[in-house]
Amino acid sequence: MRSVTRARYGAVAALLALGFWQLGQGAYIPAKAWLAQELMQHAWLRMTAGDDRAAPWPWADSWPVARLSAPAHDVELIVLSGGSGRTLAFAPGHLAASAPPGAAGNSIIAGHRDTHFAFLRDVAIGERVNLETPDGRKHAYEVIGTNVVDSRRGSLVLDTDGAFLTLVTCYPFDALDAGGPLRYVITARRL
Amino acid sequence: MQTNKTDVRSWLWVLALVCVLKAWPADAQELRWTTGQGYTTATALDTAVEMQINGLVARVAVRQEFQNDGNEWTEGIYVFPLPDRAAVDRMRLHIGDRYIEGEIREKEQAEREYEQAKREGRKASLVRQERANLFTTQVANVAPGELVVVEIEYLEDLRFEDGQFSIRLPMTLAPRYSNEDVDDSAAITPVQVMASRRHRITLEAHINAGMPLALVASRYHPVSVRENGGRYHVELAIPNTPMDHDFELIWRPVPSAEPRAMAFTETIDGEPYHLLMVMPPDQRDTALARVPREMLFVVDTSGSMHGVSMTQAKKAVRLAIESLRPGDLFNVIEFDSYTSALYPYSMPANSVNVGQAVSFVQALQADGGTEMRPALKLAFESPARDSHLRQIVFITDGSVGYEDEMFSMIERKLGNARLFTVGIGSAPNSLFMRKAAEAGRGSYTFISVLHEVNEKMSALFRKLENPQVTDIELAWPSGVQVDAYPSVVPDLYLGQPITVRTRALGGFRPGDALYVSGNSVAGAWRAGVPLDASASAKGVAALWARARIGELLDAERRGGDTSLLRADIVATALTHRLVSKYTSLVAVDKTPVRPAGEPLASERVPNLMPYGQGALMGFPATATSAPALRIMGAGWLLAALLLLVMIRTSRPRAQRY
Repeated sequence: MRSVTRARYGAVAALLALGFWQLGQGAYIPAKAWLAQELMQHAWLRMTAGDDRAAPWPWADSWPVARLSAPAHDVELIVLSGGSGRTLAFAPGHLAASAPPGAAGNSIIAGHRDTHFAFLRDVAIGERVNLETPDGRKHAYEVIGTNVVDSRRGSLVLDTDGAFLTLVTCYPFDALDAGGPLRYVITARRL
Repeated sequence: MQTNKTDVRSWLWVLALVCVLKAWPADAQELRWTTGQGYTTATALDTAVEMQINGLVARVAVRQEFQNDGNEWTEGIYVFPLPDRAAVDRMRLHIGDRYIEGEIREKEQAEREYEQAKREGRKASLVRQERANLFTTQVANVAPGELVVVEIEYLEDLRFEDGQFSIRLPMTLAPRYSNEDVDDSAAITPVQVMASRRHRITLEAHINAGMPLALVASRYHPVSVRENGGRYHVELAIPNTPMDHDFELIWRPVPSAEPRAMAFTETIDGEPYHLLMVMPPDQRDTALARVPREMLFVVDTSGSMHGVSMTQAKKAVRLAIESLRPGDLFNVIEFDSYTSALYPYSMPANSVNVGQAVSFVQALQADGGTEMRPALKLAFESPARDSHLRQIVFITDGSVGYEDEMFSMIERKLGNARLFTVGIGSAPNSLFMRKAAEAGRGSYTFISVLHEVNEKMSALFRKLENPQVTDIELAWPSGVQVDAYPSVVPDLYLGQPITVRTRALGGFRPGDALYVSGNSVAGAWRAGVPLDASASAKGVAALWARARIGELLDAERRGGDTSLLRADIVATALTHRLVSKYTSLVAVDKTPVRPAGEPLASERVPNLMPYGQGALMGFPATATSAPALRIMGAGWLLAALLLLVMIRTSRPRAQRY
């Protein structure tokens, strides 16, 4: 009888451990995303001072390429180079194959819907988005479209006339499945 | 008592299981668009097309169904392509079971009438021309949940080339590249989406060819074909096909019935109009000393060519290079935002150079902008040799917004060279291909799928290699004033007919005939077409007007007197009810339907991205597992809690010892 009870309490303990561990993980991801942005401020300053490819921490394989701000949502984010999962955990990533930030063509920046790019949900057509490049230049963009795209069929267009900024995140915003096929795409045109 | 407890426990287990299961994500939701504030599903658009083909004339009805799935009153704006020679002469706005016939107006007047109706809450629709092959439909005051149909009709004279009739229906457009010189880039670059549950098309065609046919087929879509007494009925085999690549229907007469001449007529207000076609003699395999050629391949490697288009282009160029003969010269020029050439000047087509060129072409990558000017300039201005005939093969999807400027440049710089266009991709800009080839005194062809590269390029080579029929002159019956288009008949390549549209003031007399003469390798050639035996066909007059407007616009582009030409175009378009650069069709309802206080949202209906194109890069993964982890964590904790409660409720028995 006692062993049965012990087994039951063991099960409770295991469930508790699993639950707390997952909750911890769930809290760690956004915490890391927030903390990384703070750490990168310094790397950004070094970039603006002319440092080439200033890594935010010694072992980082990515460097800040732009500062993205959305005044209407009180958002300011350092954008890292590259769109790999490792990069996106710390910051929105600029996809290397797209046009450099602020240049002619389509600059594409991707971010996680539940951390850095959660604010995209509230971005409306006509709003301003600013992009600051390490050379100190500020580029203002106007949001001209929001769109939901199926990534299984769709893809991102690189050949655009004029300078465009495309912000990509996952969709729907409150879905739980991290591997869903839909993407929320905001298109902004340089003013 | 005991059973009761077991019951409670099993329910708790179920509850715990539900808690955990709830943590798994729900299914993806459907695609949605945003307008103004909040979400609303997009104005959906489906299209139904019916083609009536009679000899050389096609009348096509395009029904655009605008469905407002949102909860606001909306205005739908849809930019769509039509064939570049389409004469749009009818528009109907269907509301429920009644319809309003569109009226032809000068462009500004039509827009005023439309805007007024829109403001006053009345239903209205407007069809406007942005380019000869690009139109806009606007429909105002569509109620939430309502379906409004705008039906557009156009006429088109059919292409008969290489023994085959064809009609092409563009379904979408590739994003056009604009530079600072294009002032209406917003009007010609609609929103484009990769996927949509709408944007479906149903299509049927009725062919009355007037001759026995050996073949009726569709190039890029599966169709079902039924014959009934020499007439054919063609239908898309898959109804509701996505509108992401062009449709082309071809039909071929049996060889013995291949027409040498065709004549159609229509009389309006006592004036006869004719549509005439004459085939020159077949000069194939004529023994002839071959003139050595200098072939310049100009390849578009801009971003819009990415995907299947680039594969098609590479294969086409490779085939062309490998078909060069000893003694020929060649060079390859590629361009996107920048131009680069394989060689500084044309090189002999020996095996070493051909090998080099093939690997050069194989390594081409599609990205960047579409700056055609420097590339064509380089081709035209590279030093020419009198001993060689310069032929420029321009391989592109023509996705630019500055077409007119290119046509003028080609005309200016052509000299003794000839320019041939090869339209690439699922939705090439047909206007660019035809007009650039006309300006370059060459021919045009389309390659839309990889497996037709061989067929289409071989046909092009036959044109490049075989002699032309030159110095073509038309002799009309004396005493009749004839207004004919084209006003100057170009030299003809192998397989091309002469097609003329005329208006005869005063009319022809019985026995009158048109005599066509020209020079061919076999000597002078002359053929006659009786004018009084023409078959009657509705639409011939409108097609004449369309051709006339085309030439007036060319004159305007070449720097003619704009106000005079505009007045002429407007008069011609109004008489024949044609949409043109300066005239639009507008339909306005009488009674307001939108309540005064309700706002009107305006929405640009997107176009589908051409098939196989725009697939430039995949999307990165842009979600973390944090929310799922949090919910699953909470689920496990809840399960632990429930288990604990269950252990406690089963305690009384355990406490007894």
